Amino acid sequence: MRQLNCAVVVVAALVLGACDERLRDVAGPSPNLQPTFSSIQREIFAATDSSGRAACTQCHTNIGRTPPMGLALNEGFAHAALVGQPSRGKPGAVLVVPGNPEASYLIHKLEGRADIIGQRMPRTSGPFLTPGQISIIRRWIELGARND
Amino acid sequence: MVSMSIPVFAQPAPANSSTSAAAAAQDDDPDMDPNRAQPDFTLATLPTNLRLPRHKMGFRVTHRFGRPLGEGDLGDLAADLFGLDAGGLIGLEFRYGLIRGGQIGIYRTSDRTIQFFGQYELLSQRNRPVGLSVVANVDGTNNFQDSYSPGLSAVVSRELGEYGAIYIQPAWINNTSLQPRELVDDNDTVLIGLGGRIRVRRNTYVLLEAAPRVSGFSPGAHHVSFGIEQTAGGHLFQLNFSNGIGSTLAQVARGGSGNDDWYIGFNISRKFY
Repeated sequence: MRQLNCAVVVVAALVLGACDERLRDVAGPSPNLQPTFSSIQREIFAATDSSGRAACTQCHTNIGRTPPMGLALNEGFAHAALVGQPSRGKPGAVLVVPGNPEASYLIHKLEGRADIIGQRMPRTSGPFLTPGQISIIRRWIELGARND
Repeated sequence: MVSMSIPVFAQPAPANSSTSAAAAAQDDDPDMDPNRAQPDFTLATLPTNLRLPRHKMGFRVTHRFGRPLGEGDLGDLAADLFGLDAGGLIGLEFRYGLIRGGQIGIYRTSDRTIQFFGQYELLSQRNRPVGLSVVANVDGTNNFQDSYSPGLSAVVSRELGEYGAIYIQPAWINNTSLQPRELVDDNDTVLIGLGGRIRVRRNTYVLLEAAPRVSGFSPGAHHVSFGIEQTAGGHLFQLNFSNGIGSTLAQVARGGSGNDDWYIGFNISRKFY
């Protein structure tokens, strides 16, 4: 009986052990968003989400036009255009600094911080990315901004 | 163990032979004896190995005032009656002796966190050098509707005659960051709870506890708490000082606000046996 009681306690704790928050609850209007570049490309840059937030590639594409600020976010070009690249809008700023989301100007533009030059992105005056969506992009940068 | 000479509550006279037998069994239950080495089920926050007699109850009120004692000058602090006007984190706990050596309970704090817990004694110090119990608990925020943080720990105790006891409590707590695992480096915390309670007068104890995090998510300062307490019959009154206001195991795992911030608090507990 004693062993059975002990086992019940241990099993109950282990069953309860997988209580992590779900990423899809944070991702909000883009529930499949993951902190990988391929996911960000697919769910943020190239897709309009369920909140009505516009796809970045509506403007930032090099297909049939010159992208604003030379920043093409369509597939095959976006990673090279972002990681380690200087901002054309704000001298001295770097769009994505691997491992350092605070120093990445992309985050400043998405959050609409006071130090940005020009408009908050996406420039359609909203809806903007949610804090949860931005936190996932921040995590991708924290993890090294790999082309994964 | 020292036998209690005055029962907390007078028991009604047995009505028949079966109730008489049950009452006799209850009288023989050593868990009913006051334990001078372990007078309560917790130190300030961490659990002890005090057994709750079967089918008996315990109740506890905790209060951590929200103003750090170092905030402002002494005049400000005195005007605020050392933080008593600043609000705080209040908790109510009820526990029940489900089986011999096993207890379950519920604890709710005023930030709408509810903790369910169960504790079972595996080894008793009555016939071994140390006591050992296992504790399983789970916290849920927003009245147990949002984020869940389960934990599993072992409480090893060594009673020092009737003069107190010391404790080691290795513990694992899940979902301490309250973030998805994909967004954080660690979402579990492993800590080693350390503590002790020493009887300095017949009914007066001093206590100290700490919960250094040894791996995983560990923001802020490691939890430290110390205090002084007085037993009076089935009651225990404790005045404590902590470097944070957390009072569930998951809150403790998330750390205190800083080693320069100390908060005054108190616990009042009542044993219904």
